[in-house]
Amino acid sequence: MKSKHWVWIRRVSQAFFLCLFLFLLIESRLPQDIVVDYSQSLGNAGDLRIQKPIGFFFQLDPLVWLTTLLADHVWIQGFGWAIAILVITLLLGRVFCGFICPFGSLHHLISVIKSALKGKALFKANRKSGSQKIKYALLFTILLSAWLGLNIAGWMDPISFLFRSIALAVIPGLGNGLTEFFGMLARSDVKFLNYLSYGEVLVWPVFGYDFRAVQTGWFIGFLFLLVIFLNRIKPRFWCRTLCPLGALLGLLSGFSLLHLKKDNDKCTRCRQCVLTCQGAAEPMPEHNWQPAECLTCFNCTNTCPEDALSFTFKRPRKKQRLPDMGRRAVLSGLAAGASLPFLGSLDGNAHAIPPGELIRPPGSVPEKEFLSRCLRCGLCMKACPTNVINPTLAEAGLAGFWTPTLIMTQGYCEHTCTLCGSVCPTQAIADMTSAEKIQTPIRIGSAHFDRGRCLPWSGNGPCIVCEEHCPTSPKAIYFYEDSVVGPGGQMRRVKLPQVDLTRCTGCGICENKCPVRSKPAIRVISAGESRSPRNRILL
Amino acid sequence: MAHYNQNITRRESIKKLLKLSGSLALSGSALLSIHNPRPVVAANTTEPFLVDALGKTPGYAIRDLVQKTFDAVGGIQTFIDRGDVVAVKPNISWARTPNLSATTHPEVLQAVIELCQEAGAKKVNIVDNTIHGARKCFAITGANAVAKKTGAKLVAPRSSLMRDMRIHGHRLDIWPVFTPVMEADKLINLPVAKVHGLSELTLGMKNWIGAVGGRRYALHQDIHQTIVDLAQFFQPTLTLIDAIRVMINNGPSGGSLADVALMNRLILSNDPVAADARAAGIFGYAPDDIGFIRLGKKWQLGLYDAEVPQQHEVTV
Repeated sequence: MKSKHWVWIRRVSQAFFLCLFLFLLIESRLPQDIVVDYSQSLGNAGDLRIQKPIGFFFQLDPLVWLTTLLADHVWIQGFGWAIAILVITLLLGRVFCGFICPFGSLHHLISVIKSALKGKALFKANRKSGSQKIKYALLFTILLSAWLGLNIAGWMDPISFLFRSIALAVIPGLGNGLTEFFGMLARSDVKFLNYLSYGEVLVWPVFGYDFRAVQTGWFIGFLFLLVIFLNRIKPRFWCRTLCPLGALLGLLSGFSLLHLKKDNDKCTRCRQCVLTCQGAAEPMPEHNWQPAECLTCFNCTNTCPEDALSFTFKRPRKKQRLPDMGRRAVLSGLAAGASLPFLGSLDGNAHAIPPGELIRPPGSVPEKEFLSRCLRCGLCMKACPTNVINPTLAEAGLAGFWTPTLIMTQGYCEHTCTLCGSVCPTQAIADMTSAEKIQTPIRIGSAHFDRGRCLPWSGNGPCIVCEEHCPTSPKAIYFYEDSVVGPGGQMRRVKLPQVDLTRCTGCGICENKCPVRSKPAIRVISAGESRSPRNRILL
Repeated sequence: MAHYNQNITRRESIKKLLKLSGSLALSGSALLSIHNPRPVVAANTTEPFLVDALGKTPGYAIRDLVQKTFDAVGGIQTFIDRGDVVAVKPNISWARTPNLSATTHPEVLQAVIELCQEAGAKKVNIVDNTIHGARKCFAITGANAVAKKTGAKLVAPRSSLMRDMRIHGHRLDIWPVFTPVMEADKLINLPVAKVHGLSELTLGMKNWIGAVGGRRYALHQDIHQTIVDLAQFFQPTLTLIDAIRVMINNGPSGGSLADVALMNRLILSNDPVAADARAAGIFGYAPDDIGFIRLGKKWQLGLYDAEVPQQHEVTV
């Protein structure tokens, strides 16, 4: 097969995997047309699940597999794919980066269709540089840190980075804009525009009808734009300089059998190979080819007018096996990896008193294991039907930045819903049935009244909206009727709500529906969560 | 910007005209009633009736019970004309399986939709602004399945379908209304009977809280009056209260089969107050015990069940 064919196979493969990634990302939500046949059995709802393999790209990701294994010594189902990628890398080099990685394909696409550099500048940018060692430093930081119990792979892992950026910044951002737009059309005086407003049913499957809110969403979006922008400095800047997964695969690709064969005599130094090189891997015959940097895009062999370059299978020379990482990069990476978990345990909550506002999704493992398993990928946040799961800002300390927390003023944990656990790629949130969730019961916190704000307690009138929505049976919010002093000193007969801590699961619908909006009169704190023995309330 | 005085559709503007001249319309102006696609007036001028249906035979078909209930007053075609757009307002607000009866029984919903379609309705919309997420509610309450089986349209609630309207109530003035409820020739209220912490019961009139948007959680501060305000605004053609499986504890959310009692009753009326008054009896309440039924009578929205001239009993 000629190089031209390989380039086309690569393009098709990149397009396919990028589209597949986006498709699975969009499908990471409650399906809109679940039909439960009630005539068979009135209660036969079962557990609503997303049928598509939405965790596929995470299972394909060796960095996710390795860090989870190092951090928590668990082998999570489905990660055979990641091992397959490692084997392929050992045989053929960074094929994953060139053919599969959706984030890499996105950078590739942007670098090619709107190249900021030309001629000499592009040649210079595409030569190997010292900055490419940064990714190895990051890799060693991540691996050592994981081994010592803090898994921060998700901050930089390309699959997690891309998923989080699109799911928590791009889609909610565009979705809110579209909802505003269609709302404007619907309110317009022009009848034609009113009809156009029904166009929202077309975008609904992707964006939903609701306004979404994402804590730190602007920052997630900003980082995404920044990383995209970096392609103006060097093509595929992320892949060359920052990607820890690329570094991991680079480490292995030194053993690759696929080798770039150069013919010095044929070369006319036209530099075409360097100008099209995606990884800054030094394809030109007079330079020293770097298998660890080569993304196997086949651009160099394809573009060479003299056929001076070709890929062959041969055993690599021994001395070239490890990539040029630089001792300082490795040492500084290891130093960071050794210190971060300890600093994280000062800042995070593994040993501290659990903070009240950190409410983990139902079925989350205890905090220490949670920090060693959670990828911060945002899959649970994307899948959550009520928008309650949000990335943390400071609730979980810096070590837990972007891990999930429940913000009850934005949503609530629906009593029968167990979707987040079913999608979590690393099982930081347990996969359970809704019967298990309700009958155990899995508690995520507990609700408490702020009587100064509560309408009945403060004498401002009847309410008990919290009691109405309380989903447990019997209800965890009960009331008794009594007289309270109202405005002007008059006695008022009202129903006064109270929380029964033996029944409250901390679902937060009371907080979400409370008429006191900005800081509700009933609020959920993490105290009482079943995952932490130290955070229980009752004897 | 006040959107409540913008004309959107002809149907809506006529409706609004009627609302603005509320007392005139309610007094039964023949002229207006001709132009009014939904018989707000007609509902008040035809004689109030009440059908109390009971499924006695073990293993009876709910579809038969619904059919017989309507047959007692001449069939649903008495109320639904050929070519009508019908909005059916069930209670599918809670993400609960149908056996927990927090929501309208899907077989009742299906039967009513099929009867409307047999009577020649052009289109049937299932409308409810749910409390839990609509996607989940539609799936788990069986509404999706009903929509698929019958071809009725299940309208997803969203902000663009909410519009500020004048309620002209004693307590509520302008409130966002879920417009698909208004954009229909005939409106059928299809609530499920349940107990409720604050209002004691949730029946037909209270079901209209599910037809509005906005700050619904604030309605609790004067729940009985706001229920009556909404009931006089929506004025359905018919109210059919589903009391087949009835939540007798832990309402309105329930969550356990221990909260559910089998009553096998359906109550049909063109008088919203009478329907609720009869349904209150199922729970052992007199009409006067329930604030919104008492207020409904006081504001002449309807009669107590015992005062309804035309009464039918149906058993299957």
